Amino acid sequence: MARRIEIKDLDIHYGRFCAVRGVTLSVPARSVTAFIGPSGCGKSSVLRTLNRMHEVVPGARVEGNVLLDGEDIYARDIDPVAVRRTVGMVFQRPNPFPTMSIYDNVAAGLKLDKRRLKRSELDDVVLRSLRAANLWDEVRDRLHKPGASLSGGQQQRLCIARAIAVEPDVLLMDEPCSALDPISTLAIEDLIGSLKERYTIVIVTHNMQQAARVSDRTAFFTLAGVGQPGELVEDGDTQQIFGNPRDRRTEDYISGRFG
Amino acid sequence: MRTAFREELDLITASVAGMTELVAMAMDRATVALLEADLALADQVMTGDRRVDSLRTDLEDRCVALIAQQQPVATDLRLLISTIHLAGDLERMGDLAAHIAKIARRRHPHSAVPAQARDVIAQMGDVAHSLVTTVADVLEGRDVELAAAMETEDDSMDALRRKLFTIVLSPGWAHGTAAAIDATLLGRYYERYADHAVAIARRTVFVATGNHPGPVRR
Repeated sequence: MARRIEIKDLDIHYGRFCAVRGVTLSVPARSVTAFIGPSGCGKSSVLRTLNRMHEVVPGARVEGNVLLDGEDIYARDIDPVAVRRTVGMVFQRPNPFPTMSIYDNVAAGLKLDKRRLKRSELDDVVLRSLRAANLWDEVRDRLHKPGASLSGGQQQRLCIARAIAVEPDVLLMDEPCSALDPISTLAIEDLIGSLKERYTIVIVTHNMQQAARVSDRTAFFTLAGVGQPGELVEDGDTQQIFGNPRDRRTEDYISGRFG
Repeated sequence: MRTAFREELDLITASVAGMTELVAMAMDRATVALLEADLALADQVMTGDRRVDSLRTDLEDRCVALIAQQQPVATDLRLLISTIHLAGDLERMGDLAAHIAKIARRRHPHSAVPAQARDVIAQMGDVAHSLVTTVADVLEGRDVELAAAMETEDDSMDALRRKLFTIVLSPGWAHGTAAAIDATLLGRYYERYADHAVAIARRTVFVATGNHPGPVRR
């Protein structure tokens, strides 16, 4: 079940380039935390370190700690695959497995798992996950059609269903609505609101109104200049960040005075 | 960035300053009209109030449009929401000046203020003038300290109003019921005018700091 995340003195390097420096941040369980900031500020990099997804980039490394309920996900004996099962991820562009059916897309993570589930158990998980992703009513009659036959917004909810089918504790979302139309976006936003009762959610978004609408807490990142490392400027209750930010840089960014 | 938005915010701030100037002038003229029984000046105040009223609706429309189109946040949002409120305060201040002008008009060619109360009313006019001038500065500089200082000045308005009551209620009052009612209403109008000025100052503190100043001292 939902776990809290603590990031302590996190630096992220890609080869010799320091992309992010000195991030310390707490993400409470069962809440939505939004990461906002200009391009290059390191918000997506920080998000990816929360399930060690950055490690797929050659030369990427981190210093500092990321704790899940006090447990360091970078400890020597921790398997990154196990981390990614606990901390699921939804990407910017919906990426269902194109040749797989809707059903198989949701079941994909479970089929990769070592333990074998009975068909009826699998049916159960698929139903529950599609329901939780607010997609069940729209696909119940065509579970065996390809995932690619769905609209963009439905595909993204399918990816969310796939992510939650393996019962993660944390859901990371990297600009999950930036490829979607406004109605699909609102559907995803509603879904985020209901998912936070069970999961810890961290969302990166370029849409500040979206951050203001969906998140409980907001963290603002920026960078001093091109080639400089990204840094966390301030984090706090979303209402405070958008109503009365403490740092001038936050105010300038959210008010559109940036650049 | 957001040049058009920033320009419109500046224009809205300028309109508030203009409206403040109008209600300051209205009160100055109303006080003179009252003390000098100047009918032409009283009429000017009452006509001028229509302009203040239309400025208020205009400001409100512009704030609503900007909120809808630009999704302002932080200081910008506080400024727009506060402007909607304080435009209402300013409109009310214009109305109160017009009420005073109306009393001057009703008693013409006589003065509505008996000699006994003249000093107090003149002082109330002075304090009103001073408060509205200060509020213009508070708005212009978003001056939090000056805003706080206004509350003390408002206290002196309240003291003057009590003094006016004492005069009207004294056995020496020889000007009849109608004049007593006029004096009582006038006291009320000046005092309310000052309260609205203080309310505007307090809203300006909210715009500048994001915090509401503490409860009004009474």
